[in-house]
Amino acid sequence: MSVTAKQAKAAERKYQPIYTSNPLADCDPLTQERVGQLENYIMKHCLWQFNSRGWDRRKQNAGILGKTAQLLCGEPVDNPTPLEKCYWVDAVCLDRAYRELFPWITTLPADEIKALIKALHARLDWLTIDGSLNTELIVQNY
Amino acid sequence: MPHHEFECSKVIPERKQHAVIKGKGEDLTSCLPKGYLNTIPGSISERGCAYCGAKHVIGTPMKDVIHISHGPVGCTYDTWQTKRYISDNDNYQLKYTFATDVKEKHIVFGAEKLLKQNILEAFKAFPKIKRMTIYQTCATALIGDDIDAIAQEVMDELPGVDIFVCNSPGFAGPSQSGGHHKINIAWINQKVGTLEPEITSDYVINYVGEYNIQGDQEVMTDFFKRMGIQVLSTFTGNGSYDDLRGMHRAHLNVLECARSAEYICDELRERYGIPRLDIDGFGFKALGDSLRKIGLFFGIEERAEAIIAEETARWQPELDWYKARLQGKKVCLWPGGSKLWHWANAIQEEMGVKVVSVYTKFGHQGDMEKGISRCGEGALAIDDPNELEGLEALEMLKPDVIFTGKRPGEMAKKVGVPYLNAHAYHNGPYKGYEGWVRFARDIYNAIYSPIHQLAMVDISKDAIPTDRGFVTRRMLSDKGLPEEITSSTVLSPYTGKFDSVSHLRTKTYPDFPRAADTAGDAEEIIAVVE
Amino acid sequence: MTCEIKEKTRVGTVNPIFTCQPAGAQFVSIGVKDCIGIVHGGQGCVMFVRLIFSQHFKESFELASSSVHEDGAVFGACGRVEEGVDVLLSRYPNVKIIPIITTCSTEIIGDDVDGVVRKLNEGLLKEKYPDREVHLIPIHTPSFVGSMVSGYDVAVHDFVKYFSKKDKPSLKINLITGWVNPGDVTELKHLLAEMDVEANVLFEIESFDSPLMPDGSEISHGGTTIEDLTATADAQGTIALNRYEGSKAAKFLEKRWDVPAIIGPTPIGIRNTDTFLQNLKSMTGKQIPQSLVRERGIAMDALTDLTHMFLADKKVAIYGNPDLVIGLAEFCLDLEMKPVLLLLGDDNPNYKTDPRLLALQENVDFEMEVITNADFWELEDRIKNKGLELDLILGHSKGRFVAIDYAIPMVRVGFPVYDRAGHYRYPVVGYKGATWLAEQMANALFTDMEYKKNKEWILNVW
Repeated sequence: MSVTAKQAKAAERKYQPIYTSNPLADCDPLTQERVGQLENYIMKHCLWQFNSRGWDRRKQNAGILGKTAQLLCGEPVDNPTPLEKCYWVDAVCLDRAYRELFPWITTLPADEIKALIKALHARLDWLTIDGSLNTELIVQNY
Repeated sequence: MPHHEFECSKVIPERKQHAVIKGKGEDLTSCLPKGYLNTIPGSISERGCAYCGAKHVIGTPMKDVIHISHGPVGCTYDTWQTKRYISDNDNYQLKYTFATDVKEKHIVFGAEKLLKQNILEAFKAFPKIKRMTIYQTCATALIGDDIDAIAQEVMDELPGVDIFVCNSPGFAGPSQSGGHHKINIAWINQKVGTLEPEITSDYVINYVGEYNIQGDQEVMTDFFKRMGIQVLSTFTGNGSYDDLRGMHRAHLNVLECARSAEYICDELRERYGIPRLDIDGFGFKALGDSLRKIGLFFGIEERAEAIIAEETARWQPELDWYKARLQGKKVCLWPGGSKLWHWANAIQEEMGVKVVSVYTKFGHQGDMEKGISRCGEGALAIDDPNELEGLEALEMLKPDVIFTGKRPGEMAKKVGVPYLNAHAYHNGPYKGYEGWVRFARDIYNAIYSPIHQLAMVDISKDAIPTDRGFVTRRMLSDKGLPEEITSSTVLSPYTGKFDSVSHLRTKTYPDFPRAADTAGDAEEIIAVVE
Repeated sequence: MTCEIKEKTRVGTVNPIFTCQPAGAQFVSIGVKDCIGIVHGGQGCVMFVRLIFSQHFKESFELASSSVHEDGAVFGACGRVEEGVDVLLSRYPNVKIIPIITTCSTEIIGDDVDGVVRKLNEGLLKEKYPDREVHLIPIHTPSFVGSMVSGYDVAVHDFVKYFSKKDKPSLKINLITGWVNPGDVTELKHLLAEMDVEANVLFEIESFDSPLMPDGSEISHGGTTIEDLTATADAQGTIALNRYEGSKAAKFLEKRWDVPAIIGPTPIGIRNTDTFLQNLKSMTGKQIPQSLVRERGIAMDALTDLTHMFLADKKVAIYGNPDLVIGLAEFCLDLEMKPVLLLLGDDNPNYKTDPRLLALQENVDFEMEVITNADFWELEDRIKNKGLELDLILGHSKGRFVAIDYAIPMVRVGFPVYDRAGHYRYPVVGYKGATWLAEQMANALFTDMEYKKNKEWILNVW
């Protein structure tokens, strides 16, 4: 690994918090309710949000929820690497589950879906990274 | 934070940080016990040591290896024949264990020469086995034997022999989990990439964190083979040493027990760009989703769907037979690490039982995050529960059954709570569709055992009915159930055999033709990352 | 025709017959009432030993660990003992005795356990538990010395040495059982009762076979009390049934308190039980009653049905705790069987001069080998590669795969037995034990004849 790559890796692992409190605290009740449903499904059935390190969780959350938003909006998804493809796999399952369990989501326009998933992403980052009580997230190695 | 303070632990206040009750509206930012910290001495914890985490949990399930522990005989003896990780090579790894038998003179003068003699003797006794793992123990770590140097010396002298060294003495960490980490990292550093595997499919996975307890690995591998997937290696149940040297050539790491084996997946992702896909082999929905995801990854989803449809049709009526009868029963989960989250939600949704507590012997906070997320309100979560806390919790929760280890199981028996072995299983395997029904069957058999009911009767005080010579499980479980369930012609109790695994070993699989232009796939994938 | 006593020539161990010293000390510890041992070392040294006790007895026993982690291994771990004692005392109000059992790691790092005990006696116990009777007993059981057998011997000695104190002479005798099962203790107590001998049975583990009570109140623990241990000095004599498991304590009592000691024999088989009763008689002056003559007669009747017809000349391999193995070999000879291979799983130098083994050497009329420091490979290698033919194996469960893979009938005996139900409930000692053993052996042979269709029709007319 080159010196710069090592520095980049080290910087990534010394990640900074994005949220210092629940980002959805001041949201409207409908968004809270909807995000709550989406969040609950992830927490009960998924494992990808719980990689052991904070910097991985950041990537997992962004990768999978980003692709989920695209799928929910019917946009094409690009998977140039195996890692991207793996995110897509989890996103496909999430997209299908959401459509089945929460049919209201299919009635929303694309920009609302994007906004909703953005809120969900923020909430998940808060729960699993920035607001997490897990003291091992910041450990620098695996 | 909704901490729970045990009466019995008031005198050790730090324990309060290790137990929480998930209340209404609680989430992970307010409800998470501490974990993976040094054990409180004298607390009578259930934890083992880092040596057993490395050797007993992860190392020994490798089936074609001489497993030798460098130390006095006790470590070897104690970790021998106390688990049920079977293999398809007549259980070599269960039957044979090796100790260098370090004695006092070696402690004084060093045990390296002894180690070398031992290695040569062991290869001589088993001339067909050419692979060895050497496990350091407390004693040889403290006297500072250079095991790596001796192993190298032997490998130089004996061509064809390959030796892996695992330096994970018992004291190396708060629990066996320290040893899981050490052997993961040691394997990828020493062995991965030292042998090029033969690739026989366009779809190649490593199956990681799976120890073939009562045949779990063989059941899951059967699904993968039916999908035309090459399981390059299993880390480590029923796994082969040389296959595991070729882990770097897989396209996907399918991770089961993240607690014990996420480290090697994370390193494989980092070093070779192989993605990590976490799955659950327990539960119809979770297993179906897992197979589906693997199918999606390789573009062969229809093969996964065919298996899911076939297996579900075959086993759903049997699972539902038990679900109808287990509805509302309360269970305490006290496994080692990963099963607390593998099971927490699936048994509630698919068997109808209520998980009233999740404990972990050696899990980290990450495991508790998963477990607490997956169980419902009111559940008690305890990190490293000790003897008295375990009893106090049983008294408080009054569960119908507890899933735990052999020894705490005996403790539960005495207070009238039947137990199922969470580590080794009662009559497993429990993975796969049939396995999940077997699990439900075992839970049902434990809860509705007429003997268990009799044990609670005090003949000196209680009214004793004198008009019956027996009671069956059905008489107990079907009381009050609606007619459409008790006389259903669709639902059925388990119809499988005592041994649900051995027949898989001689099974033949369909030949899926390979795409002509994908021979260089593995290299391509690696190139993407580098 | 020779009997050789030799040490295994390989340095390594393939499939050990014994575990290490701390396990023996832990077995002693659970035999004492109001006692929870702290094993000073890594957690596995306790967790696995508790597991094997629970596998054998199907019960749970309390033992604690000092949980030595990395920092303790580097900087010394005496503080872990101090904390452990405090935690244990504060949470278990009934605990009066805490043996501090050392292991390889803490012996190598050189933790001064005796010093810690002195410090705790003068500090913590006086300050925090001034009104409580607490005994801290250092027990040194480095794992690289001896085996679980010597660990047992050391711990029995250390308990007795710590507590024994002269008060008033008593008519009781001390009976040190060695590493036995609840069924053995029941049988020994029965023999004592028939002889009208009052005895202090050490260690009293009959209650390891404990009930599941409707109110959930019962837990398994040993019954030997501080008073029992203290009174050992007042006894009119000590009989230690096993030379290698308890004789050290018997010799101590003789030397320190002038309590005469008889060491052995392990009352396995008719002859050794006869000797045991004779020893009781000579020590106490009590007569052997008619009831035991009759009981012995029932055993003789049972054995006569079996011995020359079915058991004669059957070749047997026996492994396990030395006194058990030797006792079984002697009994097999009386039953006309041929114990061709004895495996003793440690390197105790005293085996070479054991009079019972010397007597075997002098008198057996067939090829016999006694291997010390033995492992299971000594057994398997002989069967697999050296043409040893066996009719029967006697030993504990760890050797089960030799019996299974080579299709040799096996009777489970000793510790641990986890692959057969209820064995701890049956005695191998006394007349009842002799009958049970012989019948188990015969039934194992019968079942084998049937599985292999090897003259199974013989049993049509027995």
